[in-house]
Amino acid sequence: MSLLALSNVTIRYGRLTAVRNVTWAITEGETLFITGPNGAGKSSLLKAIAGVVPPAGGRIDFGGRDITGQAPETIARMGLSMVPEGREVFGSLTVEENLLLGTGMHARTRGWRARAASELEAIYTTFPMLKDRRAGQAGLLSGGQQQMLVIGRALMTNPALIAIDEPSLGLAPNIIDQVYERLIALQAQRSLTLLIVEQSATRAMLVGGRMMLMRGGEVLLDGDARAMGQSEAMQSAYFGYGEH
Amino acid sequence: MAKRASIARRTIATPVILCVILLGLALLALWTGSKPFNQTIIEIFLRVILVVGLYIFVGNSGVISFGHIGFTCLGAYAAAWLTIPPMMKGISMPGLPDWLMQTQLPYWAAAGLAALFAAVFAAIFGRILMRLSGIAASIATFAMLAMIITIYSNWESVTAATSSVIGIPIVRTIWPYLIGAVLTVFVAWGHAISRSGLALRAARDEPTAAAASGVDIACERLIAFTLSGGVMGLGGALFAHSIGVVTPDTFYLGLTFTTLSMLVVGGMGSLSGAVLGVVILSSLIQVLRWLEKGVQIGDSTLAIPNGLQEIALGVVMILILVFRPAGIMGNSELHWPLARAEEPGHGDT
Amino acid sequence: MAGLLQTLFDALSLGSLYALGALGIALIFGVMRLVNFAHGDVISFSVFALLWPSIDAVAVVFAGNLPWFLLVPFTLTMGAGLAVASELLVFRRFRRANPATMMIASFALGFVIRYFLLMLFSSRPKSISLLPALSQPVEVFGARIPLLQVIIIGATLLILVGLTSFLKRTRYGLEMRAAAENFTMARMLGVRANRVIMGAFALSGALAAAIGLILAAQTGTADIQMGGAVMLMAFIATVIGGLGSLPGAVLAGFLLGAASVVMQVVLPAEARVFRDAFVYGAVIVVLIWRPQGLLSARGTKERV
Repeated sequence: MSLLALSNVTIRYGRLTAVRNVTWAITEGETLFITGPNGAGKSSLLKAIAGVVPPAGGRIDFGGRDITGQAPETIARMGLSMVPEGREVFGSLTVEENLLLGTGMHARTRGWRARAASELEAIYTTFPMLKDRRAGQAGLLSGGQQQMLVIGRALMTNPALIAIDEPSLGLAPNIIDQVYERLIALQAQRSLTLLIVEQSATRAMLVGGRMMLMRGGEVLLDGDARAMGQSEAMQSAYFGYGEH
Repeated sequence: MAKRASIARRTIATPVILCVILLGLALLALWTGSKPFNQTIIEIFLRVILVVGLYIFVGNSGVISFGHIGFTCLGAYAAAWLTIPPMMKGISMPGLPDWLMQTQLPYWAAAGLAALFAAVFAAIFGRILMRLSGIAASIATFAMLAMIITIYSNWESVTAATSSVIGIPIVRTIWPYLIGAVLTVFVAWGHAISRSGLALRAARDEPTAAAASGVDIACERLIAFTLSGGVMGLGGALFAHSIGVVTPDTFYLGLTFTTLSMLVVGGMGSLSGAVLGVVILSSLIQVLRWLEKGVQIGDSTLAIPNGLQEIALGVVMILILVFRPAGIMGNSELHWPLARAEEPGHGDT
Repeated sequence: MAGLLQTLFDALSLGSLYALGALGIALIFGVMRLVNFAHGDVISFSVFALLWPSIDAVAVVFAGNLPWFLLVPFTLTMGAGLAVASELLVFRRFRRANPATMMIASFALGFVIRYFLLMLFSSRPKSISLLPALSQPVEVFGARIPLLQVIIIGATLLILVGLTSFLKRTRYGLEMRAAAENFTMARMLGVRANRVIMGAFALSGALAAAIGLILAAQTGTADIQMGGAVMLMAFIATVIGGLGSLPGAVLAGFLLGAASVVMQVVLPAEARVFRDAFVYGAVIVVLIWRPQGLLSARGTKERV
């Protein structure tokens, strides 16, 4: 059974069509990379899944329930957490406050405070540099630290699926390595499903999993990341060789 | 230049149609021969001048101005200063400088000077205001209005403070007001198709792209602000001549609300919208006025409570903003044959 | 010395009034990018709520006859209630609208509220006698200061401290701060948009009611325009303080109050009536020097 399923999703901004009739599904535990050149519609797709932009057509199902056009907070509470492009930390809040924001949706059953505290500790174990700066302003962190922070923050919501838009943006390669290392470890630890928009197809191939190539709002290729990486088809599709 | 001429030819239908509508209203007033109706039509023409004046700035720049009625106040009092007989001026406004005290001009000359006076102040205020972001600028225009009204409400020797300034020659024929309205419509149209107007609208819709294309947003805004200020001044002067009396309070929140609601309902980004908004809401206001006075139904009189007029106007405005935020006309203009057309500048290859 | 102290208290109490007003505006602007022009009318409404159902010229104050510890919560609730109602009935429809549209809508709403009051109560100001004990002067270091001023300043300080702890220490406050900084991101973390916005409105409505109480006690009148003058200063304070910055709004409110009082003292007698105009003029000077405000907050700059 698929965890997240898109059927014929179309996204428009005014007269501009960003995503055209896209259909795919992702199963639990899977790692799916969406790659492609700028303007392919990857971010728009993620925004529609997260509820930030309502699709103009089509249907999105999560965990068997229809989430098309629902409010972002509703979708987040269902276990789908999104980390948008650009590491949107709450700069004026402290690191710890940023992390604690994710706990708001926890049911106020007995002992929730203790559970929230233990989750916080778990995040600090995974990202020790955050613990060192827990009381500091989030706006002052470096790019890599901020990326860890926003991933940690999304994890605090206890998601089943975490969608990340361009985690490597603006980061040095060795930092990106670290980020991905933690992500993969976390995935194993918590049986997460990962949906990552990654402009670098190379990175996707390195990490492995499933990869989807988007261009001009459509899905052109969909298959195993490593296998696709070797093929010619991949290059032509990415760069549009042979078109026009 | 050829480009400009072709745009002009393509879009001139709009101001012509609007002026035909206005002419129609004027003829209607003449035909009915009723004095109160004549006054109502004069009111409509005055509102057209004010709302179109507002459109010149608000519609093209996308910046809401709550302060434009301040220029109307400036124009009205300028007209008063220039047309009241010197003897009366000496009594009610003894602080006026001698040359002003002795001046008495025909109303149309005074109106022109009043418009100029208002435009100068608009240029000065505008220089400062245009550096602010959209919302801050809007609040600043509010402050500007308050400033003007405070000064005029207290400067006893020059404006008679809160007392009414009487003695302004009243102009009862409908033609000067029609001419004023027609002039305003053509000025607005001319600005809208000019390089400055187009640049300003570009900046309204896509500020980043416009700036990157070399549009000096602050400068274009200033031009529109000054022009619209002058038009508001003209409206103020004619307003003064329509009732013969001015007080600062006339030019404060009530008139601001009325003119803004007419622009919003008609369509902020459309010249036709401005005019239509005036016609439609003026009719509504007139109906509500009659109801407030009381209407005979059989043996009893049905009268709605005082204050319902403004409430109705407010509710209409909110409803339009919820369901049709671009107003009745949206961004389009009236075109021949009476179909909607895109604004001048769209569809340009 | 006594004169100076009196001036200081005047400045602080007027500044408190403006600061509270600016705070109410800034709270809503922070989470919604809405400049709420109806805020002044919430002030007036809260005062008239005390008079209802009497419509006489010299108002027989109905609820206003309650002892202060019931009167204050009653008024605060009325203010908060109207603000929340305006969110539910009007502003909720404008979630995806641009700030200009919302601003005009709030302007229209303000008018509707004002003329609703006019319909019920007529436009003539009514005299009301509210907590008359407060106008008694109190001796402070040799100066005679009206007790009301001391209470205004004290209450404002209490409110500021209370609001700060609410924002910094409670869950709700955390969500509001996050929403004010980046509303969409907060929602993506499960923060319920509507709850946060309602909270902002309720707080701002209560602040408006507090201002109403102060004005009513100070001037002894209830007038449908009474919120207007304070609110204009409050809007200006929000702009000078930097749109979206709560500390900026409060600081600017106090500065404006001080400027106003100083002008009153410093200007020659004939110019005193123009005091407000001078203050607006000073505001314009500040804006020329720093168009973005004194303490600009994140995310409020125009892109270009």
